Amino acid sequence: MSNTPAEPTNVPALKVENLVVDFKTKYGVVNAVRGVSFSVARGEVLAVVGESGSGKTITSLTAMSLLPSTAHTSGVVEVDGADVLNASEPVMDSKRGNVVSMVFQEPMTALNPSMKVGKQVAEALLNHRGLSKPEAMERAVALLDRVGIPDPAVKARNFPHQLSGGQRQRVVIAIALACNPTLIIADEPTTALDVTVQAEILELLRKLVKETDTALLLITHNMGVVADLSDRVVVMNAGLVVETGTTLQVLTAPAEPYTQALLAAVPTLPEAQWDAIIAEERAQAPEHPGSVEAAVAVDPVLDMRALCVDYTSGGRKLRAVNQADLLINRGEIVGLVGESGSGKSTLGRAPLGLVPVTGGEITLFGANLLKASNREIRKLRSRIGIIFQDPGGSLDPRMTVGDSIAEPLIMHGVNGRRPRRAARESRVNDLLEAVRLPANNANRYPHELSGGQRQRIGLARALALAPELLIADEPTSALDVSVQDEVLTLLLDLQKEHGFGCLFISHDLAVVHSVSQRVTVMQHGNVIETGLSAQVLQHPAESYTRHLVASIPSPDPVAQKQRREARTALLSSISTGS
Amino acid sequence: MSTTTTAIRDSSGIRLFSWFLAKRLVQAAVVIAIVSVIVFLLLQALPGGPARGILGQQATEAQIAAFNHEQGFDLPLIQQYFNYVGQWLQGDLGRSFVMNTDVSSLIAQRLPKTLVLALAAVGGALLVAIPLGMAQALRRNKPFDYVMTGLNFIVYSTPSFFLGLLLIMFFSQFLGWLPASAPQGDTVAEILSQPKEMILPVLTSGLAGVATFSRYMRSSTIDNLHEDYVRTARAKGTPMNKVVSRHVLRNSLTPVVTMLGYYLPVMFGGALVVEQLFNYPGMGLLFWNAAQTSDFPVLLGCVLVISVATVIGSLLADVTQFILDPRARGGVK
Repeated sequence: MSNTPAEPTNVPALKVENLVVDFKTKYGVVNAVRGVSFSVARGEVLAVVGESGSGKTITSLTAMSLLPSTAHTSGVVEVDGADVLNASEPVMDSKRGNVVSMVFQEPMTALNPSMKVGKQVAEALLNHRGLSKPEAMERAVALLDRVGIPDPAVKARNFPHQLSGGQRQRVVIAIALACNPTLIIADEPTTALDVTVQAEILELLRKLVKETDTALLLITHNMGVVADLSDRVVVMNAGLVVETGTTLQVLTAPAEPYTQALLAAVPTLPEAQWDAIIAEERAQAPEHPGSVEAAVAVDPVLDMRALCVDYTSGGRKLRAVNQADLLINRGEIVGLVGESGSGKSTLGRAPLGLVPVTGGEITLFGANLLKASNREIRKLRSRIGIIFQDPGGSLDPRMTVGDSIAEPLIMHGVNGRRPRRAARESRVNDLLEAVRLPANNANRYPHELSGGQRQRIGLARALALAPELLIADEPTSALDVSVQDEVLTLLLDLQKEHGFGCLFISHDLAVVHSVSQRVTVMQHGNVIETGLSAQVLQHPAESYTRHLVASIPSPDPVAQKQRREARTALLSSISTGS
Repeated sequence: MSTTTTAIRDSSGIRLFSWFLAKRLVQAAVVIAIVSVIVFLLLQALPGGPARGILGQQATEAQIAAFNHEQGFDLPLIQQYFNYVGQWLQGDLGRSFVMNTDVSSLIAQRLPKTLVLALAAVGGALLVAIPLGMAQALRRNKPFDYVMTGLNFIVYSTPSFFLGLLLIMFFSQFLGWLPASAPQGDTVAEILSQPKEMILPVLTSGLAGVATFSRYMRSSTIDNLHEDYVRTARAKGTPMNKVVSRHVLRNSLTPVVTMLGYYLPVMFGGALVVEQLFNYPGMGLLFWNAAQTSDFPVLLGCVLVISVATVIGSLLADVTQFILDPRARGGVK
């Protein structure tokens, strides 16, 4: 794969052999990595995939020698032929950022909030290149330009909070690139970003690897990202390598049952007919206005019309939701998708009476919510169940799971009165059974449960009052794919059983496609497109939706190549960026 | 400094800052108005009223009535209150019963000296506490940290009069190095010309500050050491000591600097004890002596001045934080 003309020795950029990492904790030794071997060549992108706890991040931190002091390592780790495991701190300081550098997951927190971004990029150059401060700043501006930051000389004087999430991640990439390292480790570099931004960052990484002949070790859980960027794949599970191979081979014909199960759990969007879509986009005229047709109110539980929500901050108004329509019938799941700041969560919270509505109508279970008294709102609200993104944060850590589930029964009562203890307990047991958890879980505390189990508890609590409407705000975003798959299957089963209407809010179009019959797409507070999921997500009528769908990486490397080309074609046909 | 200029160069920054300042100024004005009402009511609550206080126990009813009329004390309370506020606004805080001088000139003479003591104590405390707190954070849960934490709690929980006595016994009586009494004099310059006499009072009021600030510094440094940006800096190849001085220090200082404003009233409270103990001629001693002789106008004048200082202190704290932390200036892009 190497493009460099003269490469006398065949030294890999990173060689890992029989790596073992143990952590000594209060509860004994934890074997995080149990004998892992792989290598990455210059100019190659190797993806290490696995679910949480697979040891993939620990492996990457070992290559940087940035493990916490409680870690104990053995085996061989060499970066550009030099030993890492036994290297002294000063030696490692001279290598970090110079020979090997890292791009982190969370661009919001990866940068020092009180230092200007240009200075943060320049610091890497000052560490290794013996430049003067003005020279380093000049190079930093050039680097910011190279990673695609507009107005780099101005942005260099900005603080991180003045940049967007995507720009911040570009700054982190600029820092990693600063000294032309042999190896860049990117740990979930796009996980915290919106899909359209993710597509841009992936594009940037691909370009940079090609231009600089750097090796890229890509740590991710997202099979689409793997398909998009990597040449080879290492699949890890519980500290061991399960399978290694070329990306095409592992993603399309996995040999190991674990990899097969992992891939089967990934929700996918069916391939859109890109040629037709691109042709329409070029013609600037949607041929099928069908998907923007208003939904038919059969038996509506929630009907919001021309809804406007304004927040005030620092003395000025911010319109979070603008003239939005949303209808949910009993027994149907409606997906609400959009990127961060699109207003989807605000719109989803409107039926609870928790947001400052400044215009429009909300009809909830046939009642006018905006004219209802507080008492009536409380009553209407008791007929709505809610589940949130973070199953850990939304459960009281000092309350047993059973008490958490029983809380809405106590707060709102059943048939107007508070149920007795025995009645509550039997209801809690029924609910635990409904979410497929053993009844003895009622006495456990949230920290004793896994993320998937906690989200089941969240679901049980939401169902406690037999809601007619369930609002699920990013319910599976914090979960591993296999767990996500289980929770989604459960949600669909329960919905069939109980027949509630459901608003399913998510940034993940593939997840929405797998659960919802209809979907509404939002951008900048506006409803862009609404219609049947299959229609909207396979043949989107609006430019923004097309762009959004094309930005979602497919776990199939062949399909992903098409989608990537479609995205480029769409971008080039959009003359003015929206 | 560069942060201030950035904040001001940015027009949305100016708008946010003016909005923030306007809001805080209104809040401060409301608090001071409430304080003035309380101080006024306290004056009314004097046994026998101010007339009895000034004219003494032997005064006849007729004398008191005449005095009350002359002073406007027979007017309705509301009107009296506004008269008082009018006087306060002109800098007139009444006359001392005992010293027969204007309260305002007494305070004007004493306040700077207390400020000198307070600033020396806080400044010294910060110079010790910031490195100490950081050192503890870097050696977290190691013997050095445990020993310093233990000492901290001992100092923190020792009342300052007792701490002062211990210091006098050790440095003055036992070692004979330092005088046990504070510098004397009417002006700040005279006080400052006797540095040796300043040491024990500054030490007594500053040690508690060391304990407080170093705890804050320790915990905010520990928080910052766990931040992702520290890992990013390490991944650039910045050695740990430079990561601490370049990145962690400034971010960890924010809560400590913010706290300084709120610490001002604590220093005034401490001055009461320390100044009395060392016979330091500041506002604390003035207040102490006024309390001994029931010199109510002086007491209330002091209370008013200290309350206003407290409000200004917390206002300064908020403004400092706004300037120090770029994020506090709002996330508007």
